[in-house]
Amino acid sequence: MYGLEAIEANNGWAISAVGISIVFTGLVLLSLSISRIHKLLEIWENRDNISLFKKKNPQSEAPTPRFLTERERESADQFYLLIKTMDDHFSLPRLLYLAEISGIERPHSNLSRLLKTKIIKPDLDGFYLFDKDMHNNQ
Amino acid sequence: METLFLDFFQNTGFYLCDYRNIIMIIVGLIFIYLGIAKDYEPLLLVPIGFGMLMGNIPVFKGFGLSIYEANSVLHYLYFGVTQGIYPPLIFLGIGAMTDFSTLLARPVLMLLGAAAQAGIFITFLGALALGFDPKEAASIGIIGGADGPTAIFLTSKLAPSLIGPIAVAAYSYMALVPVIQPPIMRLLTTRRERLIRMDESRDVSKRERILFPIVAFLLCCFLAPAALPLLGMLCFGNLLKEAVVTERLAVAARTSIIDTVTILLGVTVGASTQGDVFLTTKSVGIFFLGALSFCIATASGLLFAKFMNLFLKNKINPLLGAAGVSAVPDSARVVQIVGQREDPTNFLLMHAMAPNISGVIGSAIAAGVLWSLMS
Repeated sequence: MYGLEAIEANNGWAISAVGISIVFTGLVLLSLSISRIHKLLEIWENRDNISLFKKKNPQSEAPTPRFLTERERESADQFYLLIKTMDDHFSLPRLLYLAEISGIERPHSNLSRLLKTKIIKPDLDGFYLFDKDMHNNQ
Repeated sequence: METLFLDFFQNTGFYLCDYRNIIMIIVGLIFIYLGIAKDYEPLLLVPIGFGMLMGNIPVFKGFGLSIYEANSVLHYLYFGVTQGIYPPLIFLGIGAMTDFSTLLARPVLMLLGAAAQAGIFITFLGALALGFDPKEAASIGIIGGADGPTAIFLTSKLAPSLIGPIAVAAYSYMALVPVIQPPIMRLLTTRRERLIRMDESRDVSKRERILFPIVAFLLCCFLAPAALPLLGMLCFGNLLKEAVVTERLAVAARTSIIDTVTILLGVTVGASTQGDVFLTTKSVGIFFLGALSFCIATASGLLFAKFMNLFLKNKINPLLGAAGVSAVPDSARVVQIVGQREDPTNFLLMHAMAPNISGVIGSAIAAGVLWSLMS
């Protein structure tokens, strides 16, 4: 078999069309990809200046300290009295224990509120400090 | 004693000689002449030419001397060709010696390499029309990729009986790039087009060059997995080169490995052209179609460059399209020579390397596609 008849019988037109399409697609995709490589690398190299890659400041993530209610303020005063009996760097479980035996209302919840409002802060050595300025500002 | 002499004489080449062996020895001598005297692809034509001399020494069948006898030394060396082992090793070396910077600097020129592959598929149709079966037609068409290792690789998979003529045709036309391409380039371009100057390419960073072989390999092989042996080795070789820390391996790939494989491939392909096997009407058809394929590939690249200029603000010199055939770096050199004939201060070589290299990738993808479609 020869000529167009042979091409048609062997599916030649379709094979050629598919073949050239795949070659073109491959090289077009490659061309598009490599045309972006340097831009991607540029972004990567300048990642410190791009907000997407910037590490968020943990300070800004923390909720803004909320003002205390009258009752919370009252319990903060009670906790302050207890803390005054302890060292400047005190143990939180010890404070909680003292609060419980002293009959302070809802000691866990109130202590948690003082921690959130940063009136009581960790000293990063396993103990805590009472921030008098923060307490007075409330 | 007389009988002994007679027996010996009957085993000599003079007695066993066939006119076809003489023709092929003359062709081999022409190859050696072209390689040494004319400097046409000497690294390929000299081993192939000498291989033709080796393959056409008439030998007594059964001595284990002919390349087609199972127990001969040449047959064992030819194993690398018939099983498609040598072409990926050559691609490893090519990858380790090629700088892809120009391609990375101007990726749009990659399309010219894709356009030039049209020659492969048009010739495939031509071969079918001339009565070749589809696998043979695909192997003949790949000659238009102008890439000897790719042509050998695909033929070893689809039509092993045609390796000799196809390899010789592919390498002959690659060697004749400086003769075949310029007339087509001048015919299809105007003087004004040939004078177009290309903008200076941007600098390409080291990181880009390291990333390219990985991206190219993953993308192309996911699309055409059958191109894996060729593209895998090409990209791996290039990664060795660009990574710097593997410089020793890159040096081995681009020197000793590629040189050894080129010698073995050239000599055995040449030796496979035994007159009685090689000189057939099929071989004549293959040479005719191979030339056609090469011309169509060159023309496709040129015409596509002109087509792209219809849309581009900064015009490209259409001569670059001729470098889309993957005869690296010869067709890029031809572009430079033809361009400089019009304007000696116009340097197109580095720009032409981009379509030239993309032609290598394109022809490897085309080979993979044809292999998977025919299997």
